[in-house]
Amino acid sequence: MDGIGFTRRQALSMSACGFGQLALAGLLNDTANAAPANPMLAKQSHFPQKAKRVIFLFMQGGPSQVDSFDYKPLLYKKNGEELAFDDARVIANTGKRGSAQKVMQPLWDFNQYGECGHWASDLFPETARHMDKLCMLHSMHTEGVAHGPATLFLHCGATNFVRPSMGSWISYGLGSENDNLPGFVSICPSPGNGGARNYGSAFLPPAFQGTTLGSAGRPSKNAKIRDLVNGRFDKKQQSEQFDLLRQINSAQLSDRRGDAELESVVSSFELAWRLQNNAPGVLDLSDESEQTLKLYGIDEPKTTDFGQQCLMARRLAESGVRYIQSTYGDGSPNPAWDQHSNLPKHLDHARAVDRPVAGLLEDLDRRGLLEDTLVWWGAEFGRTPYAQNNGTGRDHNPNGFTTWLAGGGVKPGFAYGATDEFGHKAVENKTHMHDLHATILHLLGMDHTRLTYRYSGRDFRLTDVHGEVVSEIIA
Amino acid sequence: MLPPTLSAQEASEEQLAFFEKRIRPVLVEHCYQCHSRNAAAKEKLRGGLYLDSRQGILKGGESGAAAIAGKPAESLLISALKFESFEMPPAGKLTVDVIADFEKWIADGMVDPRDGQIAADRKIDINAGREFWAYQPLSQPAIPTVAGVQPATPIDAFIIRKLQEQGMKQVGHADRRILARRLYYDIVGLPPSIDQIESFVKDTRSDAYEQLVDKLLSSPAFGERWGRHWLDVVRYAESITLRGLLYREAWRFRDAVISSFNADVPFNVMARQQVSGDLMEAASREQREMNLLLTGFLSMGNNNLEDQDKAKLRMDVVDEQLETIGRAFLAQTIGCARCHDHKFDPIPTKDYYALAGILRSTESIINANVGRWVELDMPLPEAEQKQLDAMNAQIAALKQEITKLQGSGGDNAPIAVDALEGVVVDDLDAKLVGAWTKSTSSKNFVGANYQHDGAAGKGEKSAEFTPPEPLEGEYEVRFAVAHGGNRAPKVNVTVWSADGESTTEVNQQKKPPILGRFVSLGKHRFTANTDAKVTVSTANTTQHVIIDAVQFLPVDLKGSPTKVVTDEDAKERAAALKVAQATLKKLEAERPSKIRYMTVSEQKEIGDTQVHIRGNAHNLGESVSRGFLQVVSHEDSPAIDDTQSGRRQLGDWLVSSQNPLAPRVYANRIWHWLIGTGIVRTVDNFGTTGELPSHPELLDYLASRFVENGWSTKQLVREIVLSSTYQLSSNSNENYSAVDPENRLLSSMNRRRIDAESLLDTLLVTSGSIDNRLGGSLIPAGITTDYDFPHDSRRRAVYWPVFRNSLPDLFVVFDFANPSMVVGRRDVSSTAPQSLFLMNNDWVIQQSQQMADKWLAQHELDVQSRTEAVVYTILGRKPRSSEQQLIMQYVVAAGDDKMEQQRRWTQVIQTLFSSVDFRYIY
Repeated sequence: MDGIGFTRRQALSMSACGFGQLALAGLLNDTANAAPANPMLAKQSHFPQKAKRVIFLFMQGGPSQVDSFDYKPLLYKKNGEELAFDDARVIANTGKRGSAQKVMQPLWDFNQYGECGHWASDLFPETARHMDKLCMLHSMHTEGVAHGPATLFLHCGATNFVRPSMGSWISYGLGSENDNLPGFVSICPSPGNGGARNYGSAFLPPAFQGTTLGSAGRPSKNAKIRDLVNGRFDKKQQSEQFDLLRQINSAQLSDRRGDAELESVVSSFELAWRLQNNAPGVLDLSDESEQTLKLYGIDEPKTTDFGQQCLMARRLAESGVRYIQSTYGDGSPNPAWDQHSNLPKHLDHARAVDRPVAGLLEDLDRRGLLEDTLVWWGAEFGRTPYAQNNGTGRDHNPNGFTTWLAGGGVKPGFAYGATDEFGHKAVENKTHMHDLHATILHLLGMDHTRLTYRYSGRDFRLTDVHGEVVSEIIA
Repeated sequence: MLPPTLSAQEASEEQLAFFEKRIRPVLVEHCYQCHSRNAAAKEKLRGGLYLDSRQGILKGGESGAAAIAGKPAESLLISALKFESFEMPPAGKLTVDVIADFEKWIADGMVDPRDGQIAADRKIDINAGREFWAYQPLSQPAIPTVAGVQPATPIDAFIIRKLQEQGMKQVGHADRRILARRLYYDIVGLPPSIDQIESFVKDTRSDAYEQLVDKLLSSPAFGERWGRHWLDVVRYAESITLRGLLYREAWRFRDAVISSFNADVPFNVMARQQVSGDLMEAASREQREMNLLLTGFLSMGNNNLEDQDKAKLRMDVVDEQLETIGRAFLAQTIGCARCHDHKFDPIPTKDYYALAGILRSTESIINANVGRWVELDMPLPEAEQKQLDAMNAQIAALKQEITKLQGSGGDNAPIAVDALEGVVVDDLDAKLVGAWTKSTSSKNFVGANYQHDGAAGKGEKSAEFTPPEPLEGEYEVRFAVAHGGNRAPKVNVTVWSADGESTTEVNQQKKPPILGRFVSLGKHRFTANTDAKVTVSTANTTQHVIIDAVQFLPVDLKGSPTKVVTDEDAKERAAALKVAQATLKKLEAERPSKIRYMTVSEQKEIGDTQVHIRGNAHNLGESVSRGFLQVVSHEDSPAIDDTQSGRRQLGDWLVSSQNPLAPRVYANRIWHWLIGTGIVRTVDNFGTTGELPSHPELLDYLASRFVENGWSTKQLVREIVLSSTYQLSSNSNENYSAVDPENRLLSSMNRRRIDAESLLDTLLVTSGSIDNRLGGSLIPAGITTDYDFPHDSRRRAVYWPVFRNSLPDLFVVFDFANPSMVVGRRDVSSTAPQSLFLMNNDWVIQQSQQMADKWLAQHELDVQSRTEAVVYTILGRKPRSSEQQLIMQYVVAAGDDKMEQQRRWTQVIQTLFSSVDFRYIY
């Protein structure tokens, strides 16, 4: 047709299989008569999925790998010695390699767990009991030395540029399994360090942005979907009103029959109505047994908050939400796990998350959900094996840290990659954050090089031009 | 050593065997995946580097030659394997032995039997690129003649001509009520009242429509509506996502944009003001202010100021500005050329860095751990500035006087040096050896601060306090200590006088007896030709040693340390103090407050920039002269010298008469905002990956008219809305749905969704709560971040703070422009959260209830006329009989119960806001 730079067929063929309709809707979203397709319809993946959904437990601020899962005996031997390290912050600020740093040994004792015999410290005794379910990635490395850039990189694959977040890419790629619920939910996201960008859809259509429940640093029991409940009118009154709306819309549509976009507006009210009648139930924890609440630590003040977040995550996963992020963090520029000084404070955070996380693993497993739910535990970076300014804490370390995955098609009781003998830099089977992103998309049945969106003249990807699937960890 | 040109033929068996055994297997296993022709075929080639042939290695990739035969130490390949430059292979460092093999192989001349042609680099052909429609000069297309009908305006002639080619006709004009509603929302973004619609409907003058158009164009609400369109394009925001830092002064830019649209400032001027206003001449003070305020354009980016790699951050900021300038004014995706030549458009990387050099010579971020954008005080005219300077000097003097009069503000407040009698030597004037750290943590110091030794480097640090002029006579010498618990308990302080040296041990943990800060070192005699000084050493001390000031007090001053001497004096001074304080208060109130504004400035060091290979700020290539996009450059491109960044020339070039992009892009934007789709639908992308124009001649006609009319936005808006095409009904001809399903040919008008701002404004207007004041900031004084901001205002939506971490909920769900990117065309989505918002949001219900109360208070109305009025107010038309019936049924069920009536009317109104006829502009 005259005046359009590409034909429908071209538009379909230039995007990957299954996404054609969607990409077209995205490209032509403001054309007069084209109906915006319901973007949340479940879509076909590129190849069979190992995982149907993801629960990402974000440990905001960066827990120390050498105090938790990356056991390095050498640190005890060299404790207190001043040695030369390639410190990421020093390099970023000055370009200088090999600055003198004082080695600091782990503050918690390590033990071996499970049949696999992998190590964990006393920070996470409950999680460690599930060691045979976990797949440790000891060779993670990423971009960004400060929280802001690294947190954005973790979520969006870019330190500075405004890019869609991972959950948005996934709901764009796969849609939702449940018509009544959003595809991407972020529980208690932090307003800091990128804030809204970490669950934003950037140039993807806004329908793919994360739905937020609550905010980091606030009690999770108040975490709700906005405007889901009507505070003014009772059920009967609202139901009458909804009938009136249906009838008025139907009268108004009579002049414009067949106008698909108008019909999509009307049907969005039907969806909202279903959401209003179903979603509150999904988030209502009151029908959970005492035993389950206990499993998540919802019987103890220390663990109640994150326990509720984990339990909500399970309920959302069970209901078919594709991508659920649950953040343990706060709104400050130096978030929860950020122990530059006073490393012993790690223990408070570990105590708050350890039981809930273990509970989630156990519960998912019991319900048979772990099989196709990928649990991802990790942070924007790790910490240095030496003391910051010879003090009592550790600085950021993007060059080597540990993340673990469980369920969803990864090898259980497995450990992949390694840092150097100090636990500082990843050296063996290095796994970049882009690689992790590519791998998670792969587990969800998507090829990260084919999950693209055309914007500003380019086909964008979560992994930019990088990323290799780490096939070694796939079961 | 073998010559570097050695090839396979000349090589020995042994060398070949070495390659085959030690080198080739490593290359194949660890490198070929990303650096081979095979990788290139799979689009997996990285860095443009081929390691599968000797030529490939010698030629290298984007970072230059990978190896120099015979010179392993200078070979990138070796430093990469050693993880010193790149870190290759990325999966992990190879063993020391393997790296040694490579060093040997290169040292021995790189014997390599592999042969292979490397594909020639793709070069962009600028001249061929110029053939693309968007880069062609603006044409002056003849107005087409059309058969059978007399087109109302030239615009209609272009449209009808295209339709006729397809055998199509336009539908009839829209009903006058629909037309009025359309015009109001399009031009001022507000709903017309019943009276406004009715007076237009009843206006029988032949130019009634034109009259209405002109009335609306001259309303200040025009600037609020159209300024907001432009704010979408320039990613206007009042905070940045990172840390939620507030752009407190951003609103001045917004208000400047609004007033520029109201004043119909020519767009070519506005464009230059935004890119280079600070460098432009101004004919008046007002113009100068506008020039400066509009430079806020360059500083609105959502940058990650916390990035620790400041070289990278600097280029990221430049990139953000370039991308914004490129898309906003030229609809070009310049950012694509940051890492490599543009893959589709004729924009080589060299052009990117030619432009980048200009913006890199512009200071946009002040570096710090968390960087800071540039904010300046608005300059005043000379006379006013003089007056202000005088006032400031007066205020400063008064403040000093007050400090003096106050003498000591108590033992725990700082004392100014001037407030002290005698000769005072402050730590800032002392001669210091070693690293001392300034502090103001304890408050009992003299001057601006005190200093401490950090309890480190004991014995390496000392201080010497020498009076500026030689002293004569007897003085009491006093040593100031801002004491504290972590201070040194024993510090030796030595006075050098005509009597020799005398050392006193000072306990810096104890509160000093005089004025809470001075310890007396005794009386000493000084003569002009002997050393007069006080020295402090940190040798043999523990904990923090403090130095602050030394006072030499002539003994004939009765030994009083400050200028407050007698009771009598004290009274006098108290009175004087009162007067001084009152004067200060008055002066400060009278002093005109300075206007702060967001802007950029010229860098101290100005110059060209090197190509950043693959966009990496630490991998630099050749230097590129500052300049512009070659594909739209012409002979008289303004020259840039080394005394200026080139922004001024950039502004000139953007809107120069020979650059066809700026007027085309802008005219297309206006068409899009009025008609619902651009002539080029990808309004921010006129490159080859964008769409082609549906009516190229019409676009050139509009762009040329726009330039002819002095780049007047209002004239162009006027011409478009006066066209017959704009006035068409949006009820499409069903027969055309197969031929032209997307109505690209405009046989009817497009119906468009009401946007977030119009929705918000309409609720405020119809509830009667709108506050129509113009301009100003809505950011409260008390907040420091944009987190969880409780948006609530009766002002128009355009004034609600655009907070990147907490946009108003209504903005979020109703497709407001993402304030971090150039958005010429907003998304239009139909989502459940929109419906939930309209159904359940408290604010919506509250506005609905206010409107209900307003109409219920009109007791003279019966149910029927109240229904009519409510429907007319919200939908801009009389109710259909079915609507009338449904609503009346709904409200009559309330009976005489007032509460129930209020509730039901509230629900009816809320329902009408949810109905499709409200959500669309037909």
